This record gives sequence, structure tokens and C-alpha cells, in this order.
Amino acid sequence: MTEYYEEIDPSKRKALMPDDEFVRELYDDRYSDHERKGRKDIDWWLWRCICLQILYGRGNFFRYFRDKEVVKIIDELRMNDTEHREILYNEYRNVCRRYLSTCRSGNYASRFMGFRQASDEEKIIKACSDVWQMSEGIASSAGKPQEMRLWIEAFRDELFAYDDICREEYERLREENLR
Amino acid sequence: MEQNRFAAAFKQNAIWLVFIIEIAIFAYFNPKFLSLPNIINISRQVSYYGIASIGMTFVILIAGIDLSIGSIIALVNVVCAYLMMNMGWNMWLAVLISLAMATAIGILNGLMVASIGIPAIIATFASQTIFRGLSYLLSGGLPIPGVVLENPTFGFFARWSLNKWGIPGDFGLIPICAIIMVICFAIGSFILNKSYFGRYFYAIGGNEEASELSGIRVNRMKYLIYALSGFFAGLAGIVLLSRSGSAQATAAIGFEFEVITCVVLGGVSVAGGIGRMSGVIAGVLIIGSLKSGMIMMNVSEYTQMVVQGLVLAVAVGFDCFSKKRQTN
Repeated sequence: MTEYYEEIDPSKRKALMPDDEFVRELYDDRYSDHERKGRKDIDWWLWRCICLQILYGRGNFFRYFRDKEVVKIIDELRMNDTEHREILYNEYRNVCRRYLSTCRSGNYASRFMGFRQASDEEKIIKACSDVWQMSEGIASSAGKPQEMRLWIEAFRDELFAYDDICREEYERLREENLR
Repeated sequence: MEQNRFAAAFKQNAIWLVFIIEIAIFAYFNPKFLSLPNIINISRQVSYYGIASIGMTFVILIAGIDLSIGSIIALVNVVCAYLMMNMGWNMWLAVLISLAMATAIGILNGLMVASIGIPAIIATFASQTIFRGLSYLLSGGLPIPGVVLENPTFGFFARWSLNKWGIPGDFGLIPICAIIMVICFAIGSFILNKSYFGRYFYAIGGNEEASELSGIRVNRMKYLIYALSGFFAGLAGIVLLSRSGSAQATAAIGFEFEVITCVVLGGVSVAGGIGRMSGVIAGVLIIGSLKSGMIMMNVSEYTQMVVQGLVLAVAVGFDCFSKKRQTN
């Protein structure tokens, strides 16, 4: 089971999938083409996670539409499901892990139109900011911290396991944005 | 939390405060600054900056840059005028061909950046040189005058205005070019805020690899974005040609830097993924008013260049500084 949640490659995960109907249901839901057509290698949950970050950056002018979409994502990602909390928590951590796996690439957080690559520390700090925005940040600004509690916990725990400085950075972001 | 929301809203809209302060300063030193003829003049002046800045906003949002838009404008000027004046083509057909050509140049930029992998700054700089050279070759280095004199309807794009009954003509209150700019901003805002494409632009600028994994066809999006940048630059070129009435290969030299200034001043981060169309509108209005205000205060052209360069440095510097502060 642990191996399944540690793996981020969809095809390898399929091979490791435990015999559980709900886990299979989540897998199918996550890697299926919900709205866009014609592409097979889709991580729908990762996309919704990116959407949450984009929604965080929206101005107050579109607040109504933003909050409405956050509610839609909460439903889509089953954040209100109380029956399968452990499975969902692990799946959310896997989504976060997959996102964080992209945060070490050369392009990530690059500066001056890609002329200067970011240092490792700069990348980690941007990753912290991204993860904070797509979890606690958007939950607070849309007024849904209770509904998104499991999501926030999973993302925070995965981020803290990512690097030693993440905890301190996460707390700084909380302090700065939620005071 | 409410206080925090207010602070965030203030921070997001601070650029509009800068615009109001700027207007107040110029109006204080020259009361004619807020006169109706000057406001109409500013709206004509900013229209082609505004139109071109929409495409540039998309490009900078994906952490790219398009240095070719000044040359696209010059080539569109020359080609459109050449088709109408030297080949006797119908005005609308010449406009359509010119816009298609501008879009094709954008696609070429997309090809160099997305498929070949040339850094955007180098690829678009190469385009800038190629298409500026082509403009000189086609025009023989000479202006093509009398475009509006020979085709009075071509004045529609920049010289015509809507009168109080909403009928377009030579005399009126609201310049057509300002209306074109507003429509383009509305389309740009719709793309960014209400369409999936806008989402993709932000996603690619924020984290390209994660976007690819989530299912976005990143390369296709880059083609689209550079094509849009080319199209909007082409439209700006048509407006400029209609305004000046004469096509020149030297048109819009250094224009890309003015557009970049508008976009970055409007809060679009050069690192990509952050920015809003409303901020860009404010950036365009600030630069337009600054130019007009300096002309009214008899500031020399060279000093104006110095000021504009400083504004660009401050805008980009502020963006980089805030990122650096976040890191520290």
C-alpha cells in the first residue's frame, strides 16, 4: 500500500494498485480525461490542484466565481468524504508529491526570461509558496478551511517531508497571509 | 482576516492609485491636461499600445518575451500600404492579409521557441531583425505616403470617431481606435479569466512541467500565445498606419520596450504566472498619460526616453525585488 502512494508515475501505480474498489475508483477518476479530449496522459487531480493555485491569485473582482469553483473542486476531489479519509489523505499526498517532483526542474522558478536558473533554495521557497497557495491559501481566501481540512493536512505533511526548511517557510507564509 | 483582504485588494489595485496621482500632478501643472481634446488625444495615443500589450501580456504570463512586435508593426504598415497603394487591392482584403501575415510571424516565433527550443529572447530578437529588414527591402527604405488620402475609409481605424448619435465619421467624441482597444481588452480579459486557455497560460507560467503532466499541451499553447501576440501587434500596426497615413519601415522602433513597460508596470511578473488584465490597462494608461503630460510640459524627447527607461527599470526592479524579498 505504501509503495503505491509513494510512486508518482501513473502506469507504475497501476501495477502497484491494491485490490480495493475505492482506490481503483480514485485512480480512474484521477487519470481520466474529464473535460479535455484526446489525451491519455492526464493527471486531472494535479490539474485541479494547479487550478486552486490560479484561483488563489484571482482578484476580488471575480471572487464570486472563484468561490463557486472552489466549491466545485472540493466536490470533485471528494474533500467532504468522511468515510475514506485515510485513502483520500494518502492520495492527496501523492498529488502533492507529484507536484513537488516538478519543482526541481531547470525551468522552475527561473529568472529573467529563463536566462538565470533559480538556486535550489529559491526553488524550494517557491515550491512552499505554491503548495501553500493551493491548500491553506485558497481555503482561507475562499472561506473553506473546514471543508478542505484533509487536503490542507495532506499537502502540509507532504511539504514538510520535502525539505527541512519547508516547515519554517510554511509558517512564515501563514503568518504573513493569515494574520 | 477582513483587514488582510482589504490589504490584499489595496495591493492588487495600487497601480490605479499611481495613475490617479499621476493625473493629479499633470493636471496641477497644466489644467489643459484634463481637457476633452487632450483626453481624446491620449485615448488615440494609447490605443495601439493597449492593443499590442494584450498579446505581450499573454507572452510574459508564460515567462516568455516577444521582441518582434515593433518589426511586425513596421512590416504590417509596409505590406498593407503596398497592397493598397502599389497593387490597388481592396482595403479590407489588404487588412486581412496583413493580419494573417502578422499571425503567421507569431506562429514562426512559436515554432522557434516551442519546437526548436531557442530561448524566447533570442528567437524573437532574430525575428525582429529579419522582419525589420524585410520592411526596408519591400519599401526600398522609402515611405509609402497618402494611404488615408487615397483610401479615406482606411481612416476608420484611428482617425474616425463616434458622434453623439453613435455614427462613425471624421468628427466625433469617441475615437474608433479607443473602442477597438476596449473590445480587445474585453476579449483579453475574457480569455484570461473565463476561458480554459487563460488558465493554461497561468499554469504554464507558474510551473511548465506540472502543466505538461496535468495534461496541457504546452507546446501547442506556446504556438497559440505567440500567434496571438503577432495578431495583436498586427492590429496595432493597422491602427498606427491609419493614424499616420503613411507607411514607413522605421515605424515602431523600440515599440516593444514601451509595451513591455506597460505590461510589467501593470503587475505582470517577468517570471511568469502572475498578472491581471486590469493592471495592464492601468499600465497602458499610465504610460500614455506620462507621454502626453511630458509633451504638454515641454519636456524634450530625449528626457522622455530617459524617463521611460527609468519607469521600465523601476517596474522590473520592483518585481525582482519583491521576489528576492520573498526568498530571503
